[in-house]
Amino acid sequence: MSSKTASQPLAMGQTSTSSNVSGFSVGGLFRRPEAGAFLGLFGVFAFFLVFGSIDFLKPAGAASWLNVAANLGIVAFPIGLLMIAGELDISIGSMIPAGSMTVAIISGYYELPIWLGIAASLALGVFVGLVNGILVVRTNVPSLIVTLGTLFAVAGLVLGLSVLLTGTTSVALKAPALAKYLFGQFVANTFQVIIFWWLALTALYVYVVHYSPWGNWIFAMGGDKISARNAGIPTARLTIALFVLSSTSAAFVGMCQAILFNSAQVSAGMSFIFNSIISVVVGGVLLTGGFGSIIGIFFGTITFAVVNQGIYFTSFDRNWSSLIIGVMLLLAVLMNNTFRSMALSYSPKKK
Amino acid sequence: MTMLTTMTKAFATSVAICLTAASVALAADIAVVGGKTDDAFWSKIKKGVDDARFVVETNGGKVTYLQLQTYDNLGPDAAGLVRTAISQGVTGLVVPNWVPEAEDEAIKAAADSGIKIILMNAGSLDKAKELGAINYVGSDEYLAGIAGGEYFGKNGQKNVLCVNTLPGSANQEARCKGVIDGITKAGGTGKQLPLPATSFGDPTAIAEAVKATLTQDGSIDGVITIGAGDADAAASGIQQAGKVESVKLGSFDFNEAGLDRIKNSAQLFAVDQQPYLQSLLSVSLLASHIDFGTDLPVKPVLTGPGIVDASNIESTLSGVSKGAR
Repeated sequence: MSSKTASQPLAMGQTSTSSNVSGFSVGGLFRRPEAGAFLGLFGVFAFFLVFGSIDFLKPAGAASWLNVAANLGIVAFPIGLLMIAGELDISIGSMIPAGSMTVAIISGYYELPIWLGIAASLALGVFVGLVNGILVVRTNVPSLIVTLGTLFAVAGLVLGLSVLLTGTTSVALKAPALAKYLFGQFVANTFQVIIFWWLALTALYVYVVHYSPWGNWIFAMGGDKISARNAGIPTARLTIALFVLSSTSAAFVGMCQAILFNSAQVSAGMSFIFNSIISVVVGGVLLTGGFGSIIGIFFGTITFAVVNQGIYFTSFDRNWSSLIIGVMLLLAVLMNNTFRSMALSYSPKKK
Repeated sequence: MTMLTTMTKAFATSVAICLTAASVALAADIAVVGGKTDDAFWSKIKKGVDDARFVVETNGGKVTYLQLQTYDNLGPDAAGLVRTAISQGVTGLVVPNWVPEAEDEAIKAAADSGIKIILMNAGSLDKAKELGAINYVGSDEYLAGIAGGEYFGKNGQKNVLCVNTLPGSANQEARCKGVIDGITKAGGTGKQLPLPATSFGDPTAIAEAVKATLTQDGSIDGVITIGAGDADAAASGIQQAGKVESVKLGSFDFNEAGLDRIKNSAQLFAVDQQPYLQSLLSVSLLASHIDFGTDLPVKPVLTGPGIVDASNIESTLSGVSKGAR
């Protein structure tokens, strides 16, 4: 593997190789980057089981946080990878409504085939991702600023075009049965079908990031971009690919929302920016890049969704929701961080 | 001879022009200050202005719509438009009192220079009296809330949940407070569900919050949302909770999906402030006051709450297609 030297500084993020060498050990399991995130999730679960009710774990209750986690999670994975690679993409906040308005305008307002609407919505994601990625790579302007620009530009474009074309800011969409079945149905009347997309994507990301050279490249870029490029990693192409991935994922989530709720509005989606970054950080990705894991982000997303939705299963006054969410997230991250530093600095007793 | 005829003609024409000019100066010259017309709400207001214009122009007057370019600097910009209207020498002014602190001085200056004023869309009768305006034409969020609560009560609902995705915003708090007071008056109970900011604009989070609340409290049989988009999410929450039959949905304002639900009986009603009426009535009342000295004793003129439900859904849909609803 050509990236062997580059992957040296990222042994922390890639403990799978070390545990393969030493065989199974409890210590090795706890030193994995996702272990802390799992503990945070465990703590949050315990809290809501004590203060809430068992309904929370029954299918209908579980669906209420799984649905939120799945929508958020599909966006959180590429955001996490970008953060691992040392970049950020906040334009997803307007890509979600852009994705849903595109499919709603094309297939709802103009009544063209749904597949055209879906394709256009994803193509828009690819296009905005390319713009973001190329601007970041070519101009060296920090990706926060570039995507801040596209965040507003896309939001304005969507509002302007939607009023120009349809005269309103909210468009109804009636998707045909097959599209509804694939992207917008409730399985067993309560689980959004997007949960299955999310689980499938999790498996795909775990393979690509932790078992293929691509993953090592991403970690290497976040560790030290110059060395990574010197080691022969196509950093520019990889960065652009990650931006394409994040805005297409956001467009996908928006498209699914429009099909599920039979309606799209220009204003939705801004909360996804902050929520996805929170999920990624709770999942153990460092804001400085170079460290993190897909399973960690997976647990982080569930933690965030549980903290947000768990509140409705408790008897706390709803006016305190935001306070409880804040404190719980802070505790989850502290637990995660403390545990990680303990685990990473642990040295077994010499025999 | 021909020379004389031409001169006579020219003289007659100039007299006619002078007379026309004089009659224009006497008739109502009204300026309407409003929001950007690319916004769904203000485009309905604009239609009301345009329709009222026929009446004003028939009587020799004219109407201009002065619109804001952005909403970034709402109060001062609106005050600027009021001063523009004063300098154009209008005889009547229709203006929303969005930011009293910023606009009151300009509106008072207009009143002092003899311009007749109607406050529209934002304001109150007290404010109109204070500023020397002749009336307030618009809606009252609290009364709209009460109408929503009472409609639930009349329909047999006993326990209503008001889903507030913008807790702390005065308008939305007034709507929810009105709903709770309205259903209480009708013999039921109600409460507000304030959602954290992390849920705003995420339909799944709103749907799941509604579902979880309905699952936890089986006695809730009515849900109302503060916006049209939130109602799409709430409808999904009710459906997931398996309570389509027992829990009725209402909303403030409506969109196409909401009207479809009302048509298919998946939503009970929507509360509408009828923006078209706000400008149509403001302009015609003001023109008639200036031209003919009429004075409507009904004060304030409330254009809402109008209720859209199964009984008037067809006429509402036809209004939507004509850009007035």
